[in-house]
Amino acid sequence: MSTVLQTKGLCKTYIVNKRQNNVLKNIDLEIKEGEMVAIMGPSGSGKSTLLYCVSGMDRVTAGEVIFNGKETAKLSDKALSQLRLDEMGFIFQQMYMMKNLSVLDNIILPAVKSKKNTESRKATEERGRALMRRLGIDDVGGNDINEVSGGQLQRACIARSMINSPKMIFADEPTGALNRSSSDEVMKELISLNNDGTTIMCVTHDPKVAAKCSRVLYIMDGGIVGEKEQGRFGGNDAELRSRERELNNWLMEQGW
Amino acid sequence: MFWRILKKDLKRKRTMNIILLLFVIICSMFAAASINNIIAVTGGIDHFFDISDVTDIALSMPAESDLADRIRELPGVSEVRTENYIMVTGSKNFSRDGVKLDNFINPAFFISDDNMGTKYFDEDNNVITDVEKGCFYANSPFLFNLDIKEGDVFDVNIDGKTLPLRYSGRFKGALLSHESFANPFLIIDSEDYNYLDQDENTDFNGLLSMTVYVNTEDVDAVRELIKDSESVSLSTREEMKDNYLFDILAAYLLMAISVILMFTGFVVLRFTIGFTISEEFREIGVMKAVGIDNRSIRGMYIVKYLAISVVGAAIGFICSLPLTDAMMKTVSENAVLDDNNSRFMGIFSSVLVVAVILLFCYFCTRRVKKLSPIDAVRSGQTGERFRRKSILHLGRSKLPSTEFMALNDVLSAPKRFSIITLIFTLCMLLMMLMSNFALTLRSEKILWVFTVPECDAIIADVEYFKELYEDPMTYRELLDDSEKMLEENGIPGKCSTAIGARCETAYKDKKANVGYWIIKGRDDYRQRMIEGSAPQKTDEIVMTGKAMDSIGAGIGDRVRTVICDKEYEFLITGRYSTFEYNGYCALLHPDFEFAPTRVNSTMGLQIDFDGDPDKETVERNIEKLKEIIDSDKVYTPSEMINSATGMSDTLSAIKKLMMILTVVVTSLIVILMERSFISKEKSEIALMKAVGVSNGSLILQHVLRFVITAVLACIVSTAVMMPLSDLLMNWVCSMIGDVSGMKCAFDPLEIFLICPAILIGVTVIGSALTALYMKTIKASDTASIE
Repeated sequence: MSTVLQTKGLCKTYIVNKRQNNVLKNIDLEIKEGEMVAIMGPSGSGKSTLLYCVSGMDRVTAGEVIFNGKETAKLSDKALSQLRLDEMGFIFQQMYMMKNLSVLDNIILPAVKSKKNTESRKATEERGRALMRRLGIDDVGGNDINEVSGGQLQRACIARSMINSPKMIFADEPTGALNRSSSDEVMKELISLNNDGTTIMCVTHDPKVAAKCSRVLYIMDGGIVGEKEQGRFGGNDAELRSRERELNNWLMEQGW
Repeated sequence: MFWRILKKDLKRKRTMNIILLLFVIICSMFAAASINNIIAVTGGIDHFFDISDVTDIALSMPAESDLADRIRELPGVSEVRTENYIMVTGSKNFSRDGVKLDNFINPAFFISDDNMGTKYFDEDNNVITDVEKGCFYANSPFLFNLDIKEGDVFDVNIDGKTLPLRYSGRFKGALLSHESFANPFLIIDSEDYNYLDQDENTDFNGLLSMTVYVNTEDVDAVRELIKDSESVSLSTREEMKDNYLFDILAAYLLMAISVILMFTGFVVLRFTIGFTISEEFREIGVMKAVGIDNRSIRGMYIVKYLAISVVGAAIGFICSLPLTDAMMKTVSENAVLDDNNSRFMGIFSSVLVVAVILLFCYFCTRRVKKLSPIDAVRSGQTGERFRRKSILHLGRSKLPSTEFMALNDVLSAPKRFSIITLIFTLCMLLMMLMSNFALTLRSEKILWVFTVPECDAIIADVEYFKELYEDPMTYRELLDDSEKMLEENGIPGKCSTAIGARCETAYKDKKANVGYWIIKGRDDYRQRMIEGSAPQKTDEIVMTGKAMDSIGAGIGDRVRTVICDKEYEFLITGRYSTFEYNGYCALLHPDFEFAPTRVNSTMGLQIDFDGDPDKETVERNIEKLKEIIDSDKVYTPSEMINSATGMSDTLSAIKKLMMILTVVVTSLIVILMERSFISKEKSEIALMKAVGVSNGSLILQHVLRFVITAVLACIVSTAVMMPLSDLLMNWVCSMIGDVSGMKCAFDPLEIFLICPAILIGVTVIGSALTALYMKTIKASDTASIE
C-alpha cells in the first residue's frame, strides 16, 4: 500500500507571553492508504495540533509533512486550501456548519467550490442526496441546521467531508459531543468509509472509538510514545470487546 | 470591577470602538454646527433687524412720490423714515485706474450718510454714522468678483460727471440682500450725494427712488392707501426676511444632513451593541448565573457607551467650531449676529447627542433583560425558535458559489442589510438631490419660470436697454436696432425682451399690487400653463395662483387694472408659474400696448440666432456680440439663470461636501460592519477555510455582500430621485415665487455613473481592505471557537 501521509521531524512551537511552548517535537509518522489511525493521549499532549498540522490547517514550525506526494509546507495558502478542498475531508467535535444554508447545501458546498468538480449543480445535489441516504439523514436535507439533532448534524458533517471523495478524512473527536448510540452510528459510517478505501485519521479520547481503528498512536508531551497495530475491525461485538480490553491494557502501560 | 471589564472591552474591541467614536464625533460635530447655524441664521436675523431699527413695513417707490407724507397721517402709524437713492445702471458707471468694472449686472444705488433709513454697520459691527467726503462703503454685491482693498479709488461716472471715491470698507445692511445677483448699494458723504444728484432728470443714470420705512399698528391701512399707486411695493418685516431665504435653506439643508448622519450613527450603534451582546452571551450568562442583576449588566455596557459618547461629543463640539464659522461665513460677513446663544446651543446639542446615544443604548441592551442565564450560555439559542435562515438553494442556483453565498447571506439577514441599504440610499440621495438642484438652478430648461422665451443669448447690460426703464414703448426701436446690428455683423437673429411693472389690480372690492409682465418680439412664445390656457387676445391675461388669491379672483373672472392712469379690464384665462415679483404676477398678451409709467424690471434682451446654430457657433456669436456692444454682460441662458437664482454655486458646494461625507460615512460603515461581521462569523470563516475555501473566495464573498447592498441603494435612490427632486424643488421654489410643475434637470453622467461609482468604489475598497483581516483567522481556529 502506498503512503498517503508522512511527517519527518515535525515540530510545532507556540510563543505565549514570550515563552516558547514546544507542542510537537520531532514527530515522524507514516500513514498508508486505507488505514484508520487513532491518535490518543492525555489532554494537552498535542493530539489536535498534530491533526491540524498534518492536514494543512496549521503551519508547522519545522519538519516536513508530505501528503499524497506533496510537501504541504512548501504550498501557498491558496494551494493548501485547494488541497484541503479536493483531497481531504474534515469532521470536528462541534458540528460546525454554515447557518445560512440548509443541511443539503452545507453538504454539497465543498463540491460546488471545487474546481475539480465538473458535474452539473443538479448532479452534485443528487450526489449529496445519495450520501445523505447512505448516512440515513435523507429526510432532513431541506432543513436548517438548527432543525436537526446533534447525531444527524454530525452525520451531515461526515457527508460533507465525503462529498469530494477525499484521499483522507481527518476527524477531531468526531463523537465527543454525541451520546453513545449516536456515537456508534457515526463510527459505523466512518468504518464503512474506511472499508471503501478512504484513509482516516481520528483524534479521540474514547477507547471504544480507538478500538475500531486499525492502528493507535499514543502521544504524550508532543511526541509519539507508543504505537499499537490492531488490524482491520471486522464489525462484531465480541471482537470489539476483545480489542477494547487489549487497548485498555496497552493504554495503561502508556500511562493513560 | 466594572471599570476593569470596561477597560478590557475598550482594548479588545479597539477597531469597533474607534469607529464608534468617530461616528459620535461626526454626529456631534454636525449636530452642533447645524444647530448653531440655524439659530444664528433664524434668530440672528431678528437680532440684526432689531439693532438695525428695521420697521414693521418698508415701501419702495419713485422719489417724487408724496406717499410718505400721506402715510404719516394714517392712524396707527408711529414712525415714518425715508431713504433716498440715486440709481446708476450698472458696473460700467464705475472705473478703477481707467478700467470700467464689469462684476455686477444690476443697477447700483447710492445712499447719503445723512439720509439712512435704517442703521448700517461696518465690518467691525460699528454703526456707520457718517462717511468721510470722497469715500464710500459698499455692500457685498458691489464686491462680487472684485479684487478690492481699502483705499482703492473708483471713479463714478454719471452722465459725463465724474466723482472719485475711495473705498472705506464693506457695510452690512439688514434689508440689503447680500447675494451676488442683488443690487449693490454704496453709502457716500451727503455732499458727494448732492453733487451726483444735481441733474437728476437728464438721463436714466441718476434716477431717484426711495424707501419709506414705517412703524405702524395697521399695515392694512397702508396697503389701502397705496393700492392705487403705480410702481410702489410694500414688504412686511417677515417678507423682508426673504433676503435670507437661501441662507436659511442652506442651514436647514445642513440640518437635514446632520439628521441623516445622526441616524446613521445610531444604526451603527445599534449594530455594534447588538454584535457586542451576541458575542458576549457566555459572559452575560455567567454574570447572570452568579447573581449579577440585569441593571448592573446593562449598566456596564452603558458606562462604556457613556465614556465613548462623552469623549466623542466633546471632540465633536470642538470640531464644530471651525465648521460653524465656515458655514456662517457668508451670513456673518453680511449680518451682525449675536452668537452667544448659538455657542450655548452648540454645547446643548452635543449634550443632547450624548443623552440620545445613552437612551438608545439602554433601549438596545434590553435583550440582556430577556435572556435567562442558560439562554445566554447557549449563545442566545433557546432551541425553541426555528426561524428559517436559508432562503436560496445552492443545488438549484445557477450562480457561482461565492456569489451565491454572498446573495444568500444578504437574503438571510434582510433586516441588517436593509438598514445598510437605507443608509447608503440616503447618502446617495443627498448627493443626487444636490446635483439635480444645482444643475436645475442653472438650466435653461427653467427659462419658463422666469417668463423668458427660449433663446441662444441674453444681453443683460442695463446700459444697453436703459431706455426701456424710462419708456417701455421704445421696445420696438430696441428690438429693430438690435436685429439690424446683428444682421450687419453677420450674426442675424430674432430679438425679444421681457419687461415688467407693478400695477394696481382689483377684483370686486379687493385690490392688490401685482407685477405685470409682457414679452415683446416673440409672437411664437407660448407660456407653459399650470391650468387653463395662455392669453389669446389683448384683453386676456394669465395670473399666478398667489396673485389670484390676493384679489380673490379665479380663472374666468375679469379683473380691473390701472396702467398709467388708464383702467383696463382683463379676463383671466389661466394660471402659470413664475419667480418674478415673489410670485405675485400676471402675464399679458404680447400684442397688448403695455405702457406703464415706469418699468420695474426686465430680463434683458433675448437673442435667438437664425439657422439653429450649434453650441460652438452660439459661443462664438456671444463673444462677437460682447465686442460689438463693448460689454461682458452677454450670457447664455444657462449663465443668466445661474446668476438669477444665485443658489446653484452654494448647492454645488454642498454637493461636494456631501460627496466627501458619503465617502467618509460609507467607509466608516463598511469598515465597522465588515469588522463586526468577521467577529460574528469567525467560526464560519474558520470552517470554510478548514474545508478548503481560499482567502480570496471568502474576501470576495464578503465584498460582494456590500456591493449587493450598494447596488440596491443605487437602484432605489435612482428610482426615487426624480420624483423626490421634483417634489422638493417645487416646495423650495414655491417659497421663492409661485412656482409649481418644475421638472428637475439631471446629469446622467453624475447620477448614473459618478455617484454610483463613488458609493460602489468606496464599498469595494473599504470592505476588501477590512476583509483582509480574515487572513488572521486560521482553519485550525475551528476547534478553538466557543
